[in-house]
Amino acid sequence: MAKPKIKPEIKPDSAVAPTTPWNVVVHNDPINYMGYVVVAFMNVLNLPSAEAKKLVQTVHQEGQAIVWSGNREKAEVLVLKLQQWHLNAQLSKNG
Amino acid sequence: MAELRLSMTIEARKVLSDLLRLIAPTSARVSVNRAQIPDSDTDLSSYWTETLSAQATEEARLLAKAFAQAKGDPAIIILNSTEEALAFLRALSAVRLALRDLVFPEITDAQLENSENIDDVSLPSEKRHAIACYSCFGLLQQSLILQIEPEAFDS
Repeated sequence: MAKPKIKPEIKPDSAVAPTTPWNVVVHNDPINYMGYVVVAFMNVLNLPSAEAKKLVQTVHQEGQAIVWSGNREKAEVLVLKLQQWHLNAQLSKNG
Repeated sequence: MAELRLSMTIEARKVLSDLLRLIAPTSARVSVNRAQIPDSDTDLSSYWTETLSAQATEEARLLAKAFAQAKGDPAIIILNSTEEALAFLRALSAVRLALRDLVFPEITDAQLENSENIDDVSLPSEKRHAIACYSCFGLLQQSLILQIEPEAFDS
């Protein structure tokens, strides 16, 4: 026996507005070694070494990289943690 | 994890310890000044400043203790856990940042990226001394990273 088709009820007013993504941006600096920044990314962003190294290469070659995007609260926590590693990290609003 | 060791000559230990004593009082200020603290929220920026200041104080204490306890010839710093090693790594970064900002701010980023190529003769002796210490702290960092995460330096 086929299940009855239930038409979903759409309530536009109750739709949750998407939160504006916030970016964690890390800028290149001449003081910290690339290997040090790899270790920082692995520990703060929980990245495997291959991904961390790829991000570090982007920071080094492009001068900066977005290392994480998402909600503001988490982004603030990550920027502070990266600054505790003495990286040149900042919060930036997307768009 | 097995203990991690950093070794240096007795002379290097003495020189680096002396420099740390000089720079420690101002390293917290440098750390906070360099951070880009969001100013849109007073509570958040206060928390941020307090966190970074407290960490800077702790880093200065950690470095002072480690260098004071380094014994033998060569002098050896022993770190007993990964957490301790990572904290030491961050502390070494802090002192390099403080040296750069306080002692040789006029050195350009490009020069600093190749600090071994900086023309020693063109600089006053105290700056040459600070740059040599800056490089030594960097060597200690690299030695530690090779022990903690050797893949970090692979290309």
